[in-house]
Amino acid sequence: MAYITSVGLVRVNRNYHKSPRDLAFEAASKALEDVKLDTIDYVIVASSLTYLQASQFDLAAYIARELGVHVKSAFTVEAGENSGLAGAEVALNLIRSHAAERVLLVGVDKLTEYISNRTYKMIQAIYDTESDAVYNVGHAGPMALLMRLYMDRYGVDRETLAHWPVMMHAHGKENPYAMLRFAVTPDKVVNAMPIAEPITLLDAYPIGDGAAAVLLSSDDQGGDHLARLTEVYSSIGFQSIALRDDPLSIEAVGQIAREAGLSPDSIDVAEIHDSFTITGILLLEELGFAPRGKAAELVAEGAFTKGGSGPLVNASGGLKARGHPKGATGVYMLAEVAMQLAGTFPGVKADSPRKGIAVGVNAHGSSARLAFLEAL
Amino acid sequence: MVLPVWWRKRIPRYRFVGALCKDCGRIHYPPRNACPYCGSRNLELVPLPRRGVLESYSIVYSVPGDNRLNAPLPIGLIRLENGVRVVAELTDVVPEKLENGIEVEAVIRRIGEDGETGTILYGVKFRPALGRK
Amino acid sequence: MANSENKQVINAGIVGWGAYIPMYRLPTREIARVWGWPEHQYKALNVSHKSVDGPDEDSTTMGYEAAYNALLRSGIDPKMIGAVFFGSESKVYAVKPSATLIAEMIGATPDTMASDLEFACRAGSEGLKASLGLVSSGMVKYALAIGSDTSQAEPGDVLEFTASSGAAAFIVGPRSESAAIVEDTYTYVTDTPDFWRRAEKPYPRHGEGFTGEPAYFTHIIGAVKGLFEKTGLRPEDFDYAIFHQPNGKFPLKVAQRLGFPKEKVLPGLVTPYIGNTYNASALLGLARVLDQAKPGQRILLAPFGSGAGSDAYSIVVTDLVEERQDKAPKVDDYLARSYEIDYALYAKFRRIYVMLPRG
Ligand SMILES: [Zn+2]
Repeated sequence: MAYITSVGLVRVNRNYHKSPRDLAFEAASKALEDVKLDTIDYVIVASSLTYLQASQFDLAAYIARELGVHVKSAFTVEAGENSGLAGAEVALNLIRSHAAERVLLVGVDKLTEYISNRTYKMIQAIYDTESDAVYNVGHAGPMALLMRLYMDRYGVDRETLAHWPVMMHAHGKENPYAMLRFAVTPDKVVNAMPIAEPITLLDAYPIGDGAAAVLLSSDDQGGDHLARLTEVYSSIGFQSIALRDDPLSIEAVGQIAREAGLSPDSIDVAEIHDSFTITGILLLEELGFAPRGKAAELVAEGAFTKGGSGPLVNASGGLKARGHPKGATGVYMLAEVAMQLAGTFPGVKADSPRKGIAVGVNAHGSSARLAFLEAL
Repeated sequence: MVLPVWWRKRIPRYRFVGALCKDCGRIHYPPRNACPYCGSRNLELVPLPRRGVLESYSIVYSVPGDNRLNAPLPIGLIRLENGVRVVAELTDVVPEKLENGIEVEAVIRRIGEDGETGTILYGVKFRPALGRK
Repeated sequence: MANSENKQVINAGIVGWGAYIPMYRLPTREIARVWGWPEHQYKALNVSHKSVDGPDEDSTTMGYEAAYNALLRSGIDPKMIGAVFFGSESKVYAVKPSATLIAEMIGATPDTMASDLEFACRAGSEGLKASLGLVSSGMVKYALAIGSDTSQAEPGDVLEFTASSGAAAFIVGPRSESAAIVEDTYTYVTDTPDFWRRAEKPYPRHGEGFTGEPAYFTHIIGAVKGLFEKTGLRPEDFDYAIFHQPNGKFPLKVAQRLGFPKEKVLPGLVTPYIGNTYNASALLGLARVLDQAKPGQRILLAPFGSGAGSDAYSIVVTDLVEERQDKAPKVDDYLARSYEIDYALYAKFRRIYVMLPRG
């Protein structure tokens, strides 16, 4: 167990004028603003694209030095899109094993440093570069295969699936840290520019830069905290959707959902990975929040928004509207759930939530992590 | 794609060879060091059937990389005749005629090249099957 | 005629044959539209469309598929192939063999010879003849001869009406296993500069009318007459006559001059539908004839290459032909698989607009 003591977020945006270090500094400074600290034992930087984009190794040490506080150790964690929650897993284990009293987790990534087709090429490396990513599938390609398969198998139409981005934009509109703060209609989603058929631009996360920071503390440290991080469940999946018995089953997520003993009633608030509409839909089903083939329908009925029958899902707007600066995304999720549990989230709020989760995957599910949080 | 990276994997990509796990009996492509299903290292290379069914497809418009020569790029999830699945680029596709369930077959095509002066990379893609076996 | 070729039994024949034609077709009227030619200019060529390689195809991929089809028909283990010859004037590397690529792809490596041959449109045929020699002498059990081209033509040149893409391949093996045995051959070459491409230049040049009489006609007629003289065979002894087909007009003309009726030429004449596939040109004609031939029939084959030379072959179909015809896609299957494109898409595929990197 560890406490989430404070958080700091930068609004996801095309932050052309800020470097990865500037963004990380800004998020970390916000997290440390109201906390009087002599020492941080570890700074963990979660990032996946930075070493390619900024051509910088040992990023964590360079960032930590600029924070202006005494730091014992710093290292970078990379797990593709799942880097942020991988950082949380390491931080929790450092605290739990008494190797650290305080860990500052900083997630940062920029997607606007290069022109889009070069960025897409880099992002494509989230997939197995020895199989699926041998081809120019891009990020959306394999997920588009799953979306068409899903529509085909369950007879779910394109319009019904469009309710996911509609809900994400409705939530993101209220979140000051979200990149996209406008409402969309199902019609707009369906008729937006195709990225990888049947995925359209409005099914996809926006290209943006961001950084988020979370300060985690052991229970020996006094003072105020936001929430408890009780566990980070972690699993790895197959190298490709082609290897799964059922391509639509993200087995790594199913595995950790079972380990965590999840049920829709046991969770009040969740931030889940929705790189594309289909990712969000499949995760809802894999987590047991919706029966197979029914998630889109439930989303359309409003089950996962405030006042709905299920937990409040992606009050931040999700990857879709808050944004998805790769390695930083899991740290945003962690911060957002902690704020929900503390009642301080500055957007759509759950009603006195007690339990929350943040669930991330890389790519199609090469790895999956589920952070379990509880209100104090 | 640097030269030795492609070269050392050329045989399975040229000849469409998978790996049969002698412990659990399952076949995967491309061959890996350990069986993805049971972890066994007791693997044997086996030729894969070149025909299969298109289970799903996409036309990728936001093509990564440097040019539009291969845009838009069709990709597919293929279930081979022996049940093994492969994600691969599709070729010789008339987009209007693509649909789930059509029969496809493996061919060798250019996958990319190491710049204009570098080596050319060849590998398996799938196309709508010709009428004859 | 002095004869440098020994008259002897060739202990080899064609065990398997295979073809490949890309699916894209550019109508010749479309080329005329873009470059402002009157329709007379292309209608006389008797070529309605030309086959165009897709953006991910080249002479290697096409040659591979033809070779794969030939292997399917032969039913042999590719490890038994002792020589791979790749004839092309559109090799993807100026230096680095394509023959090793294809040998590796089909599984013939490492115990094999592998060479790329160059003789304008005749290199594939030279590979076929060399294969017959290697097998007949007993040096190798099987040999693979491939002719494959994504033919180049300068945009706007009359050559552009016909320069097209395709491949043909033959597994040469023991006479007893052959679907067609080669009775005899005769080759006729001289130094005749009718068509050439200088090193490091992207497009070939040609001598216009000079490509006809002193080149195409002189050499094919020389080779076929040499074969007749060597074997005592006459046009009436043949059921099919297949000549190099740079357009749809020359093969019919040379047939007439040699005394072959049109009916014997048409089954092996593919250029009117797909243009001139250079090294695959006459060899695709042979593949199409073998696709439909009956045991006992005799075929005259006379490929031609600029620079210049022609090989004449007398080929006799055996009882094994019929069981092999359906073991791989036929030339007609590839002819039927066609998708018409306009000049704009052709220009993109062939990277004519700008030197687009292939990426
Ligand atoms: Zn196994």
